[in-house]
Amino acid sequence: MREHEQAFKSKGASLAAIGLGDANYARLFREETGIKFPLLIDDRRAAYRAVGLKKANLLHLLRADNAKARKRAQAAGHRQVRLGQNPFQLGASFVFGPGNVDRYAHISQTFGDNAQPADLLAAIPATGSSSKATS
Amino acid sequence: MPGSFSEALAGITLPDADGRQVRLGSLWESQPTVLVFLRHYG
Repeated sequence: MREHEQAFKSKGASLAAIGLGDANYARLFREETGIKFPLLIDDRRAAYRAVGLKKANLLHLLRADNAKARKRAQAAGHRQVRLGQNPFQLGASFVFGPGNVDRYAHISQTFGDNAQPADLLAAIPATGSSSKATS
Repeated sequence: MPGSFSEALAGITLPDADGRQVRLGSLWESQPTVLVFLRHYG
């Protein structure tokens, strides 16, 4: 996501990330990656639960779609460095707004199942557009 | 249950890495926002 930050900004969108863990973990991550966008901490999983994000389990490592997703993530240069306090919590990516408008939603089904940056970029409305996109 | 993901999240307030409280809906109130839920940091 941080590699595409400039592309998102050039389309008039802002970025934000929500993670688990604590403030120390988040600050370390921010220092290591150099990201400037908001990094929010949801240690009680309130936001994760509000949108029904899933948890995986060890059996996911045996899934064919998981193997493909992990290969894709590795090919993109992603590496897992730390497990965190909820290693089975899966993520998601959304494009919202302006206002409470859902323009894109990708709910991860397994490890490494991430939204494609091109899909996120395509969901960002043109400046001045108020049309509702589909997810 | 709110009808959309953005509605479900808008009223939730979370701290950022510096301890500032951020109401999620404020992030996309006036501009489109890409919001990513991480599995973990790092």
